[in-house]
Amino acid sequence: MSGPTKVDDTTAAPAPARKRRSGTIPARWRWIALALLLAAAVYAPFQLVPFHVFQLTMVLVYAVALLGLNLLVGHAGQISLGHGAFFAIGAYTSAVLVDRLDVPYLLTLPLAAAVAFLVGFGLGVPAMRLRGLYLALVTLAIAIFLVPLLKRFEELTGGSMGLTLPKPVPPAWSGLAEDQWLYFLALGVAVLAFLVAASLLRSRVGRALHAVRDNEIAAEVMGVRLSSYKTLAFAWSAMFAGVAGCVYTWVIGFVSPDSFTVNLSITLLAGLVVGGLGSLSGPVLGGLFVMFVPSISQDINDAAPGVIFGLLIILVMYVAPQGLAGLAGRLIKKIPRKE
Amino acid sequence: MSELVVDDLVAGYGDARVLHGVRFTVKQGEVCAILGPNGAGKTTLLRALSGMVRTRGTVTLGGTELSGRSPDTIARLGVAHVPEGRGTFMPLTVEDNLRLGAFVRRGRAEVDSDLDRIYTYFPVLKTRLKQAAGSLSGGEQQMLAIGRALMLRPRLLLLDEPSLGLAPLVTRELFRIVQAINAEEQTTVVVVEQNAHLALGIAQQAHVLETGRIVLSGTAEEIRADEQVAQSYLGYRV
Repeated sequence: MSGPTKVDDTTAAPAPARKRRSGTIPARWRWIALALLLAAAVYAPFQLVPFHVFQLTMVLVYAVALLGLNLLVGHAGQISLGHGAFFAIGAYTSAVLVDRLDVPYLLTLPLAAAVAFLVGFGLGVPAMRLRGLYLALVTLAIAIFLVPLLKRFEELTGGSMGLTLPKPVPPAWSGLAEDQWLYFLALGVAVLAFLVAASLLRSRVGRALHAVRDNEIAAEVMGVRLSSYKTLAFAWSAMFAGVAGCVYTWVIGFVSPDSFTVNLSITLLAGLVVGGLGSLSGPVLGGLFVMFVPSISQDINDAAPGVIFGLLIILVMYVAPQGLAGLAGRLIKKIPRKE
Repeated sequence: MSELVVDDLVAGYGDARVLHGVRFTVKQGEVCAILGPNGAGKTTLLRALSGMVRTRGTVTLGGTELSGRSPDTIARLGVAHVPEGRGTFMPLTVEDNLRLGAFVRRGRAEVDSDLDRIYTYFPVLKTRLKQAAGSLSGGEQQMLAIGRALMLRPRLLLLDEPSLGLAPLVTRELFRIVQAINAEEQTTVVVVEQNAHLALGIAQQAHVLETGRIVLSGTAEEIRADEQVAQSYLGYRV
């Protein structure tokens, strides 16, 4: 046998270049679709009755929370069963600031974001050293202990009675009704949140998060510090939940510990998975699901919401394991396209 | 200078010790092959060098201490590790995989020009840039893994079983490219390989690792000529 170094030049002829990735929608169409969606979103509140405007506002609130949860679960590959707690922190921060300190409500948004970020960071440092089921349990514990904690500080949080707040008054220049004003506030926050999340994900940070999700070992030897990126993902994700909670307070005008049970955390996770993990449209679809499925099924029978919600989750997971966003993507791919 | 000096390296997982005092040196720009049977500790040795397992003893690269540092710090110091099984980020595109290789570097223009350099080594990657890396063949994924490691501009390249699961022809091509990279970039390389033939073909030095100890060291020619090695790893008698 001869030496092994003989170079064989017949190998590895470059494989025939396959057709360029055809999976995604061309960028131009995506922008047009986004513009249409935004136009519809701006137009909608002038056509709907106030209750429906309120419902759409809540969809936006949930979408912002899900967007944050998506950063953590869909992009960084970690799990949280406790995001309702960060939602509650944002909601209470805003409520306490407005009620006790007379802070103008718009100013409470950055403050709620900051508080949720810091609490998320603080809890993320120990939690993110765990993974899988252990992490799920620890985050669930956050949701369980945090709300009873709110009852303890009665002078600040109003205890189990909660806090009732005046609803934001639309400024005169806008000429909007109260529900419309709230809707546009929520829409503005949601658009901003989407821009922040999208630019975050497109950056080097986003790539690092994906690397951590897809292969921790490889990410680590590439120089990604796992613990910092996981903790930061947790903190950002908590921040979005806090922002959503803050807008929730503006919209509902009332916070109490009963508004933020463990159920909220579970619903958020379910909404995200149904909407579609790791996609930017997933949170909106998940928000629609979380908001409308219970209220529509309420019309059928008082006991129906829980049952239908549960059955639909199972159905979606069977039919579209990548959620509604994944299903939509598959349908779009089916549309024949000119080459 | 990026000479790698490993002295009295002890490493393991939990209570289980895998390496018992490994000692060797790789000169700047040389290729060093680590041979040995399954379970000898070859992969653990590479993991110890890149900080992924706890170690005792010292590892220095060009005089800089690596031992006791975290994997991301070691990566920043210029050690690129191509892990066993390639460590492809499956859902990400080929380009994103490559850019992740340059994660610790700044300077976009330089990174872009390095991408072009990678394509000259691995032209097939350029035709797959926007494709999910998980859709590449095994050989292409290994090329991607090596290309990604080069994006770090490593002073030391650690290759763990690059031939794993690849067709013989593809493996040979891969080793040819590794040799070219070593010649061109003057990167020091430590390669762990079951295919002793190919590894010895590109290496200057080689060490045989058995149950956590180096039992034989020498130049590639010496190792190849060793009867014991020939029987155990090359599959023929000298």
